Amino acid sequence: MDVLTVTLNPALDRELIVENLEVDRLHRVKNPKYSVMQPGGKGVNVSIILSGLQVPSLAIGFIGGFIGTVVEERLREVSPLISTSFVHVEEETRENITIVDPINDTMTEINSVGPSITEEDLEMFMRRFRIGLKRSRIVVISGSAPPGVPDDFYATLSEEARAEGKVVIVEAVGPLFEKAVESGAVSIAKPDLRGAQELFGQELVELEDYQGAAEEIVSRGSLMAVVSFHIEGDVIATSEGTWLLSTKEQVERSHLLGTGDSLIAGAVHHLLITPDDYFGAAKHAMAAAIAESAYVEKMIITDEDVIRFEDFFTIKKLR
Amino acid sequence: MLVREAMIRDVSAVFEDETIETFTHICLRKRTAGLPVVDEYYRVIGFMSETDIIRNAVPSYFSLLQSASFIPDTQQFVQRLAQMRNRPVIDYMKKPPIAVADDDTVMYAADLLIKNGLKTLPVVDEQNRLIGIVTRIHLIHAASHGTISE
Repeated sequence: MDVLTVTLNPALDRELIVENLEVDRLHRVKNPKYSVMQPGGKGVNVSIILSGLQVPSLAIGFIGGFIGTVVEERLREVSPLISTSFVHVEEETRENITIVDPINDTMTEINSVGPSITEEDLEMFMRRFRIGLKRSRIVVISGSAPPGVPDDFYATLSEEARAEGKVVIVEAVGPLFEKAVESGAVSIAKPDLRGAQELFGQELVELEDYQGAAEEIVSRGSLMAVVSFHIEGDVIATSEGTWLLSTKEQVERSHLLGTGDSLIAGAVHHLLITPDDYFGAAKHAMAAAIAESAYVEKMIITDEDVIRFEDFFTIKKLR
Repeated sequence: MLVREAMIRDVSAVFEDETIETFTHICLRKRTAGLPVVDEYYRVIGFMSETDIIRNAVPSYFSLLQSASFIPDTQQFVQRLAQMRNRPVIDYMKKPPIAVADDDTVMYAADLLIKNGLKTLPVVDEQNRLIGIVTRIHLIHAASHGTISE
């Protein structure tokens, strides 16, 4: 197994395509294809996209109840390249509802919290995480954490993974992310800025703010920072410099679903083939994200898709 | 047809030193009746099922009886279960494990399941590490679609 993906708070993603969405109104989904139910959660999504790139992965985390069972079974049905070893918890796994309105180019998301995690659940998870580490080269720790998971948990996981000599990729938000970065054990750090545009207590408004945030992450010990700048760009920072990677064509907001996870999967794919080439991983990641943005729905992109989009962005050196 | 085409890539397992209580919790939450038992290297060293718990909790003459109502003291069963609860699964698991490799044929796996009266077989790699499971219901599904002997 090359990759271990950690999703502490997986979800059943329900994606609906509704034209002219309005609150306080009845809407009917016109076509069964416009109502999709699939396993989700950021780490789970990375496993799914990796399978399209022919990379085997082991998905671990917490799962619970009827919804959890559906998520786990559907995930394994996606591809024989995905193995699972989730810790089953008492309460029900959450659902994430996304309503895409292609007419008004909007994406409305409603995410629930997730099950409560006990001390015993955490202990069981840690043991399975350590075993998974031994069998993988890259660890992806991504997404939110359900109630009961301490704020320093991603930092703990990152430190254990780095101590085993693994490449550690973290995408999250808030204290979970910041403490992981502060541990200095993260190889690639990507703040999830879909909610508040804020990092380390600083609001991110101008390009300089995003550049500052990326450089701050690197100064705290990460080998590379990836900070999304509006829809069409990513600020990339390493110890060697800072760059802005921007798409040549405008990306529609309704096409953003899964692009962040494709970006991570693209980086993983590159690092498995070319270890230590982090800037190359950033470029491959960008191409993967643009390939994903070619579709409205969450698609399993292939290596050919990624290669096709390698030329679809510009690189500007900021530092 | 090979095992790798019919297997489920679920590598959920119970560790040899985890308790019967933990095993029961996992089974209840996963809605399963048995799990492979692994060591710290994820090598399969046994298989633990609800049948193994029952077999160890009821008197040895139970299998000779027609009905559980013949057991003179059910309290004994309850007490025995309470004693087992905090014991490690290694004390009660079936060993050595019966397992298959992913390049074994499904016919071979079916043969093992039937001969040994099992519902689930662990699938292991060349180092005996767990990489999945194969279940009776999946083999029945493969057989009913005519793919088992291909």
